[in-house]
Formats: sequence, C-alpha cells, structure tokens
Amino acid sequence: MKTVDKLSENILDKLSIDFLRNQVLKNAYGNNDTVIAGMDPRILLLWYLFFGLVPWFVNDLPFLVGCFLLVVITTILAQVAGLVLFLFGLGVFSQTGYLLVVTLLFGGDASAIAPLFMLTLKVATVSLASVTVFSGMDPDKLANGLMWYGCPERLSFSISYAYRMLPILMEEFQNILLSYRLRGNPPEHESLQGKIKYLIYQIKVIIHSFYPLMLNTAKRSRTTVEVLEIKGYRYAAVNKEVKKIKLSSMKVSNNDLLFLSVSFLWIAITILISTLI
Amino acid sequence: MTTNQKQSANQSQKLMIFVLTMALYGLATLFTELIPKFQVGIVEFSVEYFLFIPLTLSMLFDPMSAALGAATGELVFSEIMLGQFGGLGELEKFITVTIGVYIAGRLVSNPRNKKMVGIAAFGGTAIQLLLGTIVDILKVQFAIEDFEAVAGLPQSVFATEGFAFLNDLLFSGILFCLLPTLYLLPKLYGKIEPLLGMQPRTENIALGSIGWKTVLGCAVAFAVAICAEFMAESGLSIIDWEADWAESSASIAAGIVVAAVLAVAVVLIMRMRSEKSPAEKGV
Repeated sequence: MKTVDKLSENILDKLSIDFLRNQVLKNAYGNNDTVIAGMDPRILLLWYLFFGLVPWFVNDLPFLVGCFLLVVITTILAQVAGLVLFLFGLGVFSQTGYLLVVTLLFGGDASAIAPLFMLTLKVATVSLASVTVFSGMDPDKLANGLMWYGCPERLSFSISYAYRMLPILMEEFQNILLSYRLRGNPPEHESLQGKIKYLIYQIKVIIHSFYPLMLNTAKRSRTTVEVLEIKGYRYAAVNKEVKKIKLSSMKVSNNDLLFLSVSFLWIAITILISTLI
Repeated sequence: MTTNQKQSANQSQKLMIFVLTMALYGLATLFTELIPKFQVGIVEFSVEYFLFIPLTLSMLFDPMSAALGAATGELVFSEIMLGQFGGLGELEKFITVTIGVYIAGRLVSNPRNKKMVGIAAFGGTAIQLLLGTIVDILKVQFAIEDFEAVAGLPQSVFATEGFAFLNDLLFSGILFCLLPTLYLLPKLYGKIEPLLGMQPRTENIALGSIGWKTVLGCAVAFAVAICAEFMAESGLSIIDWEADWAESSASIAAGIVVAAVLAVAVVLIMRMRSEKSPAEKGV
C-alpha cells in the first residue's frame, strides 16, 4: 500500500513540468559566470578526455581517489544544478548497490566489496568529470569546441538547436498534457486498484499527447529547415571559411593553462603518493 | 508513379526528419531520465523507453535519418544537456539505438499492415536491448580486475543483466514500444507526411522489400559495430594493463617518481609564466 502511495506520488511530483523546465534551464543557462564556464572549450574537452577515459583502465586506489577528489572540486566550481547531482548520485549508487546485493545473494562474501568499491569510484569519477564539462559549459561554446575537434557539423547544430528549442517544446508538451487532463475523466484513486488504474491512465495520457505534439513538431521542423535553407546552411556547414569565422571567437587564455597545469600537478602528486605507498 | 521511384527523401527533407525525430525523442528521453525508477519486489518498472517515437517515425519516413536523429536526440538532450555524458558508453548507446530503429523502419514496407508493424516494433526494441545487454556485461568484465576471481560476481552480473533485458523487453517493449506504435502509426499515416512535403509510404515506393539481403546486411553491420566496440575497449585496456604492470614493478617505480618530480617542476614554471603574463598586461 505504502509503495503504491509513494509510487504515484513520486511520478506526480516529478511530472510537474515547470520544475523540470526550471532545472534544465538553470543547468543550461544559469551558470555562465563560473570559473569552468569561462574556460576555453577545447582545453576542457582535452581535460575531459583524460578524466573520462583513464580512470577506467587504472586499478590503483590512491590514483583513483586523487582523480575523484579533483573532479569533486571542479564540480563544485561549475555550480551544477541540484537535480543533475541528485540524478548522478542515484545512478551511481543504485547501480553498484544493486550489484552488491545480488552478488551476496549468489554466495559472494565481503571480498566482493573491494572491487565493487573500485568500480563505484571509477564510475563516479568519470561521471563527475562529464558533469563538470558538459553541464558547466555554455552550450554554444561546447558546440564550437566539438566542431573544432572535427565533430560532424550536425552534432554541434543539434546541440545549439536543442538548447534553444527545448523550453518551447516543453511548454508545448505541457499545454497539450494539461488540455488532455482538463478534458479527461481520471479514475478514482482511493483504493489500491484505483491507484494502479490511475497510473495507467496517466501513462496513456502522456502517450496520447504525443500525437498532436508529433504533428506540431513536424510543422515546426519544416519551418526550421526552410529557414536554414534560405540562409544557405547546408553549404555553410561544409565550407571551411565559414567554419573558420565561426570558430575564431575561441581563445586559449592563461586561466586555461593554469587550470590544465594545476590538474597536471595534482595528478603528478597522486602518482607520486601511489608509488611511495 | 513508377515502381522505380523509391522513398528516398532529398537532402532538406532528410534534415527535416532528422530534426523532427531528434526534438521529439530528445524531449521524451529527457523525461525518462528524470522520472525515477521504482521497484516492486524484484521487477523493475521503468518508463525507460519512449522508443515508440523514433519507431513510428522511421516506419513513416526515411529510416536512416530517423534512426540517426533519435540517437543524436538522446545524446544531446538527455546526456549532454543534463551533464550525464558517459563518454565511451554513449557510443554504444548511439550505435544500438541507430541499428534498432533503422531495422524496424526497413522492415515495414506498408504501414497499414498491422502485423508487420507490430513485429518490427518489437524486433527493433529487442535488438536494441540485446546489444545493450551484451556491451553492459563486457563493460563490467573489463572494469573489474580479476573478474572471475570474485566469488559470485560473474553469475550475478549475468543474472542481473539477463533479468534486466527480459524485464525491459517484456515491460517497456510491450507497453512503451509495441502498443503506442500500433496506436500512433495508423493515426499519423497520411497526415504527417504532407506536413513535411512528402508522400506517404506505400509498398511501391518503400525502400526495397524486406528481402533477406537487407536483414543480412544489417546483421553484418552490427556485427562490425560490435567488433569495433570490442576492439576499441580491449585494445585500450591492453595498453593500460602494460602500464599497470610497469607501475607495480619496483625498479620502474623509482623512474616514475623522478618523472613526477620533473612534471611538478615543469608545471610550476608553467604556472609562474601564466601568472606573470596577465600582470604584464595589467602594466
């Protein structure tokens, strides 16, 4: 009974789209004045390449702890939205915690804890590094940085497009959802059976509301593409000179070098410590 | 209309399909990322897959654009925007979503044929989930040292992953992929195509029939994708295993200490330099 209570409550809470929209917008646009946001995207991506890959392949505990502490500091510097951090925590600990429980169930003993702790540390380090870079950076900057490294133009277009369109799309989805709710007749949700019915009803409404949303978005994407065509987007996308002009705004400053060198110093010290132990 | 004219959209229409699928599927995955999963007993109920959106669109339009749009949408909206970008792991998701949606889209030559639509929707989901499961198991095997040595761990990984696969397929696959696709596709068929300035798909203009060649080609394609994935992971880890061995060897450890000290010195010089130049600018 209690789980069902919690279950429908949970979904209702989280489905308040205003809350989601605010969090996402805060994450995307809310922290443009942090240290991380002010940095050059190319340097940050380079930094991420190290902290996103290397921890997977190293099994040295001091090194992993060192990396983890560093990414914790950078995450604090990036002032990431609370929801993102909450999701991160939930993801990391539910995954490995679940694995631990099942391992014990299959006759494993306490010896399973150490490798699982290592795995958790690795996952946490890698995800926090990505939170720092992809959540802390301005989306347009990120798109430019990816483009500089030769990512397909379509990816950076998608990123810029997504950040601009998302608020509109969310609002539209909310409007459609609300209109369905206004017209609908939700089942009683006092008893257990009613609660389950209510849940099914809600999911049904969400799926139904995708029908008008799909049609509207089709119209909108046609408009978008036509406007892009007028501006000569498809030719500009492959033109080297246009790319050069677009990317000329990026500049590596001393702050970036400082950030890189401090990270490097930190890693060097952790390696030193791990060899001394 | 001759039979030779296939449903191949022109470039700007492909971009339209791409943008459409990306926006819709991106929005949907954003929600699924935010809605917490809940467990009743050991059965996990997650509203994980809004895969019905790209499935429907790939059956109506050019499958490749829809598949790529879906994968990009998921990557951009739910991973990068929420800062949950997982690096290497996302590549796998990207490939599996693309393959699953593409195959489902190719299987359907006539969207009015409900049986085929159902099979394609379920099959596409199954392929995507199966590929994801395989890669997940391998990832855990690579990340944990002496995987086989830990008692109970290998079985537990296979059990959890296998169970998650069945659970996802039966729960999300039917409720969130099969039924919504069967509901949405007939409703959208003939209505959404004119909005993009295209013709509805019929058997005459569908991109080739469901010949074994197509299926075989796709099978080879994802075999190649899996191989690339494995090679990338195992290749990288072999290099680093060697590095690990070097670190543990006592004679080389001393050399690493010296290198670290040198590195620290270099870093200090770099820091001094980088602190000096803004001061010069200030003067």
